[in-house]
Amino acid sequence: MNKNSKRVLGVATAAFLAVGTLTATSAQAATTVTLAFQGPLTGDAAQAGQDELAGAKYALAVYNASMPKVKVNLIQVDDQGSGSVAATVAPGVAKNKTVVGLIGSAYSGASQNSFPFYIAGGLTMVSPSASRVTLTTPQAPDFGGPVFHRVVGNDSVQGPALARLATKGVTSPNVYLVDDQSPYGAGLAQYTSPGLTKVGAKLAGTDHILPTTGTDWSATTAKVKASGANVVIYCGYDIDAGAFVKSLRDGGYTGIFASGDGSATASFPKAAGLAAAKDARLTEGDTPFDNVATAAQKAAFTKASGVKVAGGYVTNTINATNAFLTCIKAGKTTRAAIGTCINSQKFPNFTGGTFSFESWGDIKGGAPIGAFKVDATGAIVYTGQA
Amino acid sequence: MNFSVLSSQFWSLCLSGLSLGLIYVLISLGYTMVYGVLRLINFANSEIFMVGTFATVWVETGLTGHTNDSQPLHGFQLIWTLGLALVIAMVASGITAVAVEFLAYRRLRARGTNRLASLISAIGMSIVLSESARILSHSRPQASPRLLEKTSFGEVAGANFRIDTVLVIISALVMFFILDRFVNKSRLGKAIRAVSMSEENSKLMGINLNRVISITFLIGGLMTGAASFFFMTVYETTKFNVGFSLGLAAFTAAVLGGIGNLRGAFFGGIALGLLETMSAAVLGSQWKSVTVFVVLVLVLLVRPNGIFGEAIQQTRV
Repeated sequence: MNKNSKRVLGVATAAFLAVGTLTATSAQAATTVTLAFQGPLTGDAAQAGQDELAGAKYALAVYNASMPKVKVNLIQVDDQGSGSVAATVAPGVAKNKTVVGLIGSAYSGASQNSFPFYIAGGLTMVSPSASRVTLTTPQAPDFGGPVFHRVVGNDSVQGPALARLATKGVTSPNVYLVDDQSPYGAGLAQYTSPGLTKVGAKLAGTDHILPTTGTDWSATTAKVKASGANVVIYCGYDIDAGAFVKSLRDGGYTGIFASGDGSATASFPKAAGLAAAKDARLTEGDTPFDNVATAAQKAAFTKASGVKVAGGYVTNTINATNAFLTCIKAGKTTRAAIGTCINSQKFPNFTGGTFSFESWGDIKGGAPIGAFKVDATGAIVYTGQA
Repeated sequence: MNFSVLSSQFWSLCLSGLSLGLIYVLISLGYTMVYGVLRLINFANSEIFMVGTFATVWVETGLTGHTNDSQPLHGFQLIWTLGLALVIAMVASGITAVAVEFLAYRRLRARGTNRLASLISAIGMSIVLSESARILSHSRPQASPRLLEKTSFGEVAGANFRIDTVLVIISALVMFFILDRFVNKSRLGKAIRAVSMSEENSKLMGINLNRVISITFLIGGLMTGAASFFFMTVYETTKFNVGFSLGLAAFTAAVLGGIGNLRGAFFGGIALGLLETMSAAVLGSQWKSVTVFVVLVLVLLVRPNGIFGEAIQQTRV
């Protein structure tokens, strides 16, 4: 073998080895990827996070059972629904390069505080429930683009829907509007107030309370009574909503009580007690899983998640998870490829049809807002679109 | 500003403010008793309150087997269950208070460490208790069942005299009266007052200092435990951090009235309860804390020892 032949053989061997290595690497990379679910898994809001996590587990179980080329793992990231906690857990997720997409965060404040890390890491997010309007407003300081997307209708859609639902069937609605001063609660109230004018309701008064455990609601209750309101709308979270409606009922208020998606969890009737929570009207940017799933799907959901009855935002979480799984199934297994895919493809909607995202992260054509009420057993039941 | 609410709801707000204020009074006694004797702010008192609320839930659910869906009780069963819950809440808080004193303060005191070490120790105990409760309760709120049906005795000038509100007001007044008499008239009460005036002279008079201090913590804990029971009877929900906001309010009440002074805590608690309720109604709930602390600062500027800090100096614990 002459010198040239040796050189050719050497180059060919090197090329063969290089191709072999690359093939092996890509085959290895394509075997398993990881998605993260971020939301409140402990703390006050744990119920909401655990409900959504169950949806993600179900979607993944269905996907992995279909014998795909690329299997998908799920890691759980607990931000307790808190912006400050999110800021401490998000850097670790962003650095973990095995994570190619993130389902979440469930809450707006937690999403906002995660943005700097996920934008820097190019990690695409699809939230099932973070509804603050400005998260998808390009001019806003808390805009989450280009990584943030959501499958829930934002508060500019939910606020008017909440106003419609709260005043539905009420003669001469006189509404007292209370928010909890959180970014979520104040934001929802901001979009609910103009909605009241549209439905011909009168605004009897407003209050802005900063609830903590043991908050005394008697002053707000007295103001509601003094105003002569026959509808009270609370923009805030479940446990506080429960304490508030209990105070209202104990104080002799007999009118309508309505609240947004922050209160649409099992913790609300639990905190309020059956008597106070009964007939409360709630909105949620989600179609309940049990209303659209077949018996087989419900059984598979319970098997995959260990949860017997699906809670809030399960359908949205399945849609968010399926958006990632559609991309992975199409061979997109890097953060960059998934980002491009999420921004350009259509995805199957669990309730039927497909959906895709606007460039700023919301669903094209808007997402529906569901209407719910607390029945005599304390269950939150779906009553149609708000 | 919404002054119109006062025209129809003034007495209703007064009643709510009085009930809330008297809960503050009972909690603030835990702060003021300990401060009177040791010149130490027992930051763990807020968690002593929290322990009492959890004990109440335990009695009303775990021990007596009621659930959140249980129907309200009546007659002897109601009195027995609520009485048991009150006693166990007081005992649980009292024992916790004594344990805190024994574990966190006694050794430091014996070694003559400065007050800063005791202060840090107090904060440490507060965090240990709070975080332990958080872990044990999985951070979830704990609700007590509505065993006392919130019936009304009637309305007077718009004020609804609901049974739970009346129970809190009467019971807290009775408890405060008994404590005040005990501290001022009993032999042990005199010993407590003697220690509060001068540890050294008390020792010379043959008073067992450690025993008196432990009893002071016990009494403060019992009062705080009673407050936790009344709180649960009215609000029915607790959480691992329930003591933070209520403890802060009670501490503020104690300072407003004149910390270290029983009657100061009494008037401070009632003043704070009324001020919070009225400011939330007139200015809006978002202004409640601002109003309270502006008033507190103004009062302290004029009367650095609190409203009654000097006027009732002789009744200092």
